[in-house]
Amino acid sequence: MDRFLSYVGRHTDDLLQQGLEHATVVGTAIVIATVLGVALGVTTWDRPMGRAAAVATTGTFLTIPSFALLGLLIPLLGLGWTPTVVALVVYSLLPITRNTIVGLREVAPAILEAARGTGMGPTRTLLRVQLPLAWPLILTGIRVSTQLTVGIAAIAAYVAGPGLGNEIFDGLSRLGSKNAINQALAGTLGVIVLALAFDLLFFAVRRLTTPRGLRV
Amino acid sequence: MTAVATPASAPSRRRSLTGVIGIRHLATPAVVVVALIADYLWVHSLRLDSIEQRTLNSGYLVGRTAEHLKLTLVATVLIMSIAVPLGVLISRVRARWVPPLVLGLANVGQATPAIGVLVLLTITVGPGVGVAMTSLVAYSALPVLRNTLIGIQQVDPTLIEAARGMGMRPAQVLWRIEMPLAVPVVLAGLRTALVFCVGVATLATFVNAGGLGDIIVNGIKLDRDPVLVTGSILTASIALLLDWAGGLVESALRPKGT
Repeated sequence: MDRFLSYVGRHTDDLLQQGLEHATVVGTAIVIATVLGVALGVTTWDRPMGRAAAVATTGTFLTIPSFALLGLLIPLLGLGWTPTVVALVVYSLLPITRNTIVGLREVAPAILEAARGTGMGPTRTLLRVQLPLAWPLILTGIRVSTQLTVGIAAIAAYVAGPGLGNEIFDGLSRLGSKNAINQALAGTLGVIVLALAFDLLFFAVRRLTTPRGLRV
Repeated sequence: MTAVATPASAPSRRRSLTGVIGIRHLATPAVVVVALIADYLWVHSLRLDSIEQRTLNSGYLVGRTAEHLKLTLVATVLIMSIAVPLGVLISRVRARWVPPLVLGLANVGQATPAIGVLVLLTITVGPGVGVAMTSLVAYSALPVLRNTLIGIQQVDPTLIEAARGMGMRPAQVLWRIEMPLAVPVVLAGLRTALVFCVGVATLATFVNAGGLGDIIVNGIKLDRDPVLVTGSILTASIALLLDWAGGLVESALRPKGT
């Protein structure tokens, strides 16, 4: 334990740097996935075939093991950040798309009727009424995706991706040396801490962005 | 597969298995078959160098696939025999704070990266199949444990009350009321675990425990795209097919009336 703490103390800068990279790659992927997932949900939620296809397709993506998906992306995108971000986006789509669809479907028809009655067009209804009402659920989807990708991003270090996974793989490559365990432990705990930090962030975002009428 | 998709033997159990096994259920196998054939034709059209030939021959591919399936299926059986009874046991505990604590720990556990667990175990115990198997079980047992707990907790308390009123003993209530009603949730957890296992088993290569990860790593290290793509497609195919089979089992075993 002492050894571990002194290791962390000596390598604080490296660990912070890797943690920051890890958070950046996850954050980038989540922003892209949110745009794509919400767009996909908005275009398919009121078409039974469309939304079934959207959920089935994004669900299939999520079934593919991360190492295999990275393997398929490398010939197209090379090593490093790009395949990492793309893979994380692909994994994040299902929770966000599905929750957007469910959230939009849960908006009561009477509310839509009222919006139309006040003279709102389809676009304004979507932006001012439907999406705000569906937002808490969409946000939950984004949060689930984030928790998922924080862990998956660790594997991307093997394909020259950024982040705390490097610490874990370095530990593995130094198998037998004194610091191997400290490094692997620092990387693993770092990922857990990051996941918890993201969770706290979402807690705050949720409080700040939930429409006033929906707050409990 | 036939054992799973035999609506004829139990026509009343499934509302419309024949209807459900429509285009929707054939899509996954179709995609997998197309991907495998396309990969096969592509690799065949190439002139493989000696490095590629060392990996891309049927003996090596079948060997790694068999290792992968063995890791996955043995781990799933172990998970089923550990996590389900454990979940039931925890749901029986009288102390109210125990189940939420376990659920919370399971959530934190899920945030732990699988590769971290694997590497930490390897450093402390040493590389090998045992370590790979332990990480597979430890990591993938969480969804099953959680779903078993949730599945039992979500059973309508009035049903349990009614069962007790009929004179059922606690064991009977568990076996004849709670367990059957929890089955769909438990199965969903097992299906998730199965998919997790296929994924985590690709990492077994890092601790010299074989599996399809070997092929992917060879492809990356030697910079040979045919090797890399073949390994990835095989891995993805196994994951998709097992998930597909899990889905069929799920709909076949759903209790009547739910």
